[in-house]
Amino acid sequence: MKKQVKLIAMILVVMMVVSACASNKDTTKDPEPTTAPGVDTVEPTAGAEAPADLAPIKLGNIQDLSGGASEAGKANAWGVEYAVKQANAAGGINGRQIELITMDCKNDVQEGINAYRLLVDEHKVDAIIGPPLSNPALAWVDLATEDQIPIVGHFMDERVTTNEETGEAYPFMFLAEPGCAQQSYSIATYALDTLGLKTFGTFYNAGLSYAVQHALPFADYVSKNGGTVLAEETFQTGDVDYRAQAVKIAEANPDAVFISNYAADNALCYDYLREAGYEGTILGNNTFQSPFSSLVKTKVYDTYFLQNVDMENPESDSYDIVKAYMDETGAKYPIANACFGYDATTVMIEALKKAKDTSDGVEVAALLAQTKDVQTSSGLITLNPETHRTIGLPMLIAQYDENFKLIIVDSITLGEGLE
Amino acid sequence: MNLQLIFNGISLGAVYALIAVGFAIVFSILKFSNFAHGGMISACTYIAYFFQASFAKTPPLWVTIVVTSIAGLFIALILDTIGYRSVRRKNSPNIYYFVTSITFAILIEQILTVFFGKTSYGFPAMFEKKSFEVLGANISTLDFVILLISIAILIVLMLVIEKTKLGLAIRAVSIDSKTGRLMGINSGSVIIFTFALAGILAGISGTLLGMKYSVYPGLGGSMLVKGVIASTIGGLGSMSGAIIAALLLGVIEMLSVYNLGSSVTPVILFGIMLLFLFIRPQGISGKYAQDKV
Repeated sequence: MKKQVKLIAMILVVMMVVSACASNKDTTKDPEPTTAPGVDTVEPTAGAEAPADLAPIKLGNIQDLSGGASEAGKANAWGVEYAVKQANAAGGINGRQIELITMDCKNDVQEGINAYRLLVDEHKVDAIIGPPLSNPALAWVDLATEDQIPIVGHFMDERVTTNEETGEAYPFMFLAEPGCAQQSYSIATYALDTLGLKTFGTFYNAGLSYAVQHALPFADYVSKNGGTVLAEETFQTGDVDYRAQAVKIAEANPDAVFISNYAADNALCYDYLREAGYEGTILGNNTFQSPFSSLVKTKVYDTYFLQNVDMENPESDSYDIVKAYMDETGAKYPIANACFGYDATTVMIEALKKAKDTSDGVEVAALLAQTKDVQTSSGLITLNPETHRTIGLPMLIAQYDENFKLIIVDSITLGEGLE
Repeated sequence: MNLQLIFNGISLGAVYALIAVGFAIVFSILKFSNFAHGGMISACTYIAYFFQASFAKTPPLWVTIVVTSIAGLFIALILDTIGYRSVRRKNSPNIYYFVTSITFAILIEQILTVFFGKTSYGFPAMFEKKSFEVLGANISTLDFVILLISIAILIVLMLVIEKTKLGLAIRAVSIDSKTGRLMGINSGSVIIFTFALAGILAGISGTLLGMKYSVYPGLGGSMLVKGVIASTIGGLGSMSGAIIAALLLGVIEMLSVYNLGSSVTPVILFGIMLLFLFIRPQGISGKYAQDKV
């Protein structure tokens, strides 16, 4: 019996030590939960000019803080907090402060549903800012409709914002940047019209909706606009080695290969293609920025990829936000997700400001659908009431120079039929 | 037949072989599947990465391999001391080994996640010339080096097992530990040495995997699956069988992905494993398994 008690005591001690280590790391490095595991709150600003009897507006924030996309997720969460702090410091929403409650979805669909339920059922939030992750967000579509909770995020898969079969927008889901297809059309337009390329390949993770929803529209667009798709190679989530697919693409030898995964997979795809002897152009999605540049092992050349913001340009609206993010968190390199979180929150705050009753999800959603020329770090955001996605927001085309510095080389704004 | 694919398959198979042998060597002695081997590989990958990253100028590869081998050895001995040894002393059923190894595998991955998150890290590029051409095939310099190191390690390992007294003791204990004890073999020391050897192999595998792929907590676990398949096809507990099966597995995987696609390939690989279990459960080699029977 004594031995068993000792054993249990030892297990408890180990657990406490591990949690202590984890919380130490969190508080020193990351904008991590402080009140309870997986939950972080930004309290209303002390001394702000808000009548004391006005209850704060509760805003939920679901991001990947510890999953496979946590580097982007933490930057996103920071951007949301930054926007909320700015708004609270400026007096809040019509005199009411914003209380932000952040939860970790760990890039997992079930964890995302749990986080959503806690925010809606326990914390009674008025609205939610979502992550740049389509898989968890897809699971919220029906929940948000049922609970009438407006969600603005960067889940780029079009199926999160519009019904795939009917094409109608889901009433409570909103995207604060161009969708996957819009972004794919942008890089395809650049490849066809500016680079004059004719034949293409695609190389993507068939188990990642974000990647699939880039690759398929890309192939469709180039096929309909004078290009030919010579190779469409995929791998699965959990696969580690994609060299066989790279060899196949290299043998087809298209003018360009479009790679559309998250950064780590993009780096592997790029390396495998170059190692297989492919010397053509590489086209990339908007995750070819860091940490791609720190993961890739072969020389990066003749590579063009998408960017939402020109974050290293002091003239850009995004520059100050990214700089503040790096200064506050000690991040080693700029990351556009700080801007994503900021933009989604800014769009949401503008709608909440116009609402007579911020807890009326139907009213807030209707106002979000009418979002027009809201100033964000990506530029002026206008949402299409038909699709709940942005219209007229340009995508930037970037490449790395000989010193491996990211430079913007062009900007593509899609025509009407493509939005 | 595409030479480039064959070479890629052999180099992939060589890494699988290192993993499979580390897995098989423990099975041969203790008759349980050490799933903690995947966790040990992941831990060693991080150690290799941070060791390299701690120097302004990247240290030579052999230095990193020596450091991670030593680290792997210590991790293996720690796991044995805090987990497996007490199971052994109590003569507990094999299911306790199994549960302990699974627990260690999950624990190591979670600890890595707590401290480093799930963010991927990348080893710095090691070679100026990334690939070279042989008979029209582009051979990656890194793959070639990984293949050479894997072959060298496997040769040394087989020499230790086949030509030294210690190797003889391992083989004797793997066939029958009680008879081995009657013959004067200290089976406790042999078991500890076996774990140490598995740890060293985890250290080397971790370094090579980290060099080739991205570093993340689940890397070792993902690769161990292939090691387990190779070990089963080779004959559970048979090292030479595991090596042959691993090389075949690497080539079959490459050809299958190339011709049939990535979604079908796992079905093919697990199908081959099941086929062996049904038709020839002792695997390609099967020597030790038959002896045990």
